[in-house]
Amino acid sequence: MHIDKHLDVIAACRFCFMCRHLDPVGNVTFQESDTPRGRALILDTIRMKNESLKNRDFIATIYRCALSGANRCHCVSHYDEVGLVLAARKDIVEAGLAPENVKALAEKLSRATFTVRGKGNVLYYGDHPELYSGCKTLSGGDPGKALETLGFAGDSQKVFDRFKSAVTASKCTTLIVAEPSAYDFLKDKLDGIKVVHCSEHLLSGKWKARPVRKAFYLESDFLKNYDGNPAASRELLARCGYSLMPFGTNSEESYSVGEGAVVFDELDPELCEKLCRRVYDLADNLKTALFITPSRYVKATLAKYNSQIRIVSLEEAVAQRKDRK
Amino acid sequence: MIPPNSYLYEMVRSELSWVVGDDHVQTGDSDKLGHSIDYYWVPEVWHDRGQKLPPPDFVVYPASAREVSEILKIANTHNIPVIPWGGGSGSQGGALPIYGGIVMDMKRMNKVLNIDPISMTATAETGINTQHLEWAIEKAGYSTMHFPASIACATLGGFIANRGTGVLSTKYGKIEDMVMTLEVVTPTGEIINTLPVPRHASGPDLTQLFLGSEGTLGVVTKATIKIHPIPESRKFHAFLFKTMHEAMVAGSKIMTSRLRPCVIRLYDEPETAKLIKRVLGIDKKGAYLVFGFDGPAKIVDLELEQACAICREKEHEDLGTEMGQAWWDHRYKFFYPPYMFHLPQAFGTLDTVATFANIEKVYWAMKNVVRENFPQAAFIGHFSHWYEWGCMLYARFIIEAPPQDPREAVALYNKIWDMAIRAAIKEGGVINEHHGVGLKLGRIMKELYGPAFKVLEDIKKTLDPNNIMNPGKMGFPSKGI
Ligand SMILES: Cc1cc2nc3c(=O)[nH]c(=O)nc-3n(C[C@H](O)[C@H](O)[C@H](O)COP(=O)(O)OP(=O)(O)OC[C@H]3O[C@@H](n4cnc5c(N)ncnc54)[C@H](O)[C@@H]3O)c2cc1C
Ligand code: SF4
Repeated sequence: MHIDKHLDVIAACRFCFMCRHLDPVGNVTFQESDTPRGRALILDTIRMKNESLKNRDFIATIYRCALSGANRCHCVSHYDEVGLVLAARKDIVEAGLAPENVKALAEKLSRATFTVRGKGNVLYYGDHPELYSGCKTLSGGDPGKALETLGFAGDSQKVFDRFKSAVTASKCTTLIVAEPSAYDFLKDKLDGIKVVHCSEHLLSGKWKARPVRKAFYLESDFLKNYDGNPAASRELLARCGYSLMPFGTNSEESYSVGEGAVVFDELDPELCEKLCRRVYDLADNLKTALFITPSRYVKATLAKYNSQIRIVSLEEAVAQRKDRK
Repeated sequence: MIPPNSYLYEMVRSELSWVVGDDHVQTGDSDKLGHSIDYYWVPEVWHDRGQKLPPPDFVVYPASAREVSEILKIANTHNIPVIPWGGGSGSQGGALPIYGGIVMDMKRMNKVLNIDPISMTATAETGINTQHLEWAIEKAGYSTMHFPASIACATLGGFIANRGTGVLSTKYGKIEDMVMTLEVVTPTGEIINTLPVPRHASGPDLTQLFLGSEGTLGVVTKATIKIHPIPESRKFHAFLFKTMHEAMVAGSKIMTSRLRPCVIRLYDEPETAKLIKRVLGIDKKGAYLVFGFDGPAKIVDLELEQACAICREKEHEDLGTEMGQAWWDHRYKFFYPPYMFHLPQAFGTLDTVATFANIEKVYWAMKNVVRENFPQAAFIGHFSHWYEWGCMLYARFIIEAPPQDPREAVALYNKIWDMAIRAAIKEGGVINEHHGVGLKLGRIMKELYGPAFKVLEDIKKTLDPNNIMNPGKMGFPSKGI
């Protein structure tokens, strides 16, 4: 089983309570099973008794995880509890036990195709080509990350292969990726092309001094908790005149409403709404404040369950002040 | 346990759902598993060896005192045990559903209801995670000053139920010193409030009755606690003494001279060699003593200097502020895997408290009993929480390879507890200082209290005539197996 490659994590997490306060799902369902300890206990049970993998309640719990990375980041030994859950999902899928809604979602994601347009040797993969003049654009669905998080490793690889063919055919030397989940997935996966996050690229431009505008910055799970928290996004926003205020009561929790699970809102909208409600509740001035997030997913999801929130993506925030020098 | 496929089970489930909503009555295997193991070593080893753990029949998540009250009334009607559950981080098995029944998970009751900057108090629902509580209070510019190693694991209600404590207890007190007033739902479902202030002469203090009652006398639903300004300065200093005794003399003198450190911690020689080296990287022979002061900078400097002067009276190695600060910075690291003891080891925290006149006798009595009777066990200890009159001993026994058979392992484990705690009591110690009694030590309560235990039993009988609240814990009667 894939979980057997993570026995160190099972052994560490199964009786450990030290990061339970950071599990975004546990913080809204309040269920013991929705914490790294709870999930490790389940997977320890499955380790000892493989047929427990068939337990529908266990499977549901494993798919309820938001894969935020905040727990792993907080843990002094950084046990990869996300990796353990991903391994368990692979085991579930390979045993033919994926729930129907997961299968249907995977089936949809597997159909992704990719198209390259325009001219240039820099390829942009995102929603705001207007910010990247002189670049080719690559469009299509998710490059395989979503399928990977659902446990469909083979299908993920197939989609990625199509993505890679499109990139290779473009003959570009740099790939700019906007969505943090895709950036996380692609950053070490493509040979012969430099992969950068859009913030790194945009930062290289020159920016006019602008009047200061205050905004709450909702960190991306991928950038912060998976990719070493690069400073580029925050620096870019600062250059654009945004004075960023941290959101919530602390810097440890993830407020990215299931971003780590890439398609969490499609997988479990009811739970995702609860994650959003926690964010709305923590906001002191939801209606008047401006929120900026590097993730298109976070923006769309938070806007979906409360039409009053003023939230823009990083690229939109930049576009609003786009009169570069 | 109610048979899950019986119609009685469905009757009770329907009644509970009516009170809290379908979503808040869990009967699935995932949650039952999570709620059948707390931080007590016995259920851990039981799970590890593939044994079946007693699960709850229902896990219920109330959102208000009224819902708690309704649930308790249902439980009384059907004579079903109710076990309050906070974070499950208790080490004494206090939250385990040993007879099945309803685990009442309090975490949905997680709101900060009021911060009163004039009186410096805050009121919160008791299911709130204490790290979340601290963050909310800090955002308002204050602090609870409650920093237990399990701040992120446990709930306010759990600390109240267990008389828990944080690292800064020496100045800011244990939870029983922090609480102003409580809202409690009694076992028969009445919602009551204790008096609004903790100092009064208006009869015995009901607040203190519920503090430490471990879910056996009711469910604590709301608490008002003291909050504090963020100190201008907080500084630490560490010393190394040749022996634990010399360090104890210095530590007790700091306390009896009535300086007010926020923390003192003294590690015996084996723990200095083992844990201080492993976690802080300080590789020294002897007993490591660290202390800290906080408050206005000038006062901190003055008090710190006085405390250092006391330490310098005896032969010592001055480890300076840096090695004191390192302890503070890494104070929680001791509790993360792999630094914390863990299976396959068997381990237990034999924590107790005694006066300065007795505390070293207690230490040696425990240590000798473990050494003489259980040669396979190591014994280490530190003194964590210091008072004007004595201090707390946080001793631990560790067995690297306990028996594989879980029954044998638990029997051995229990025997160590039985002997070590009884040895401590003989020398003026008590069963426990801040982890509570729970399932683990209930059997020793009658011995500790003597005839006074009848008073506790009578209170229990009066408040909980059907014995539904957390039966079989704290030495109170079981529900029958
Ligand atoms: C890594 C680690 C480090 C720890 N360090 C410390 C420390 O520094 N200081 C310390 O004091 N403890 C410490 N503990 C022990 C533990 O955190 C405390 O005992 C804490 O009080 C338990 O709180 P909980 O919310 O997890 O309660 P639980 O374990 O869920 O329950 C404990 C008891 O309280 C009862 N209870 C819970 N909530 C309520 C309520 N609202 N009303 C009535 N009864 C209730 C339960 O029935 C049970 O009897 C540590 C534990 C761990 C895992
Ligand atoms: S990730 Fe680390 S802190 Fe969290 S449960 Fe696992 S071992 Fe404990």
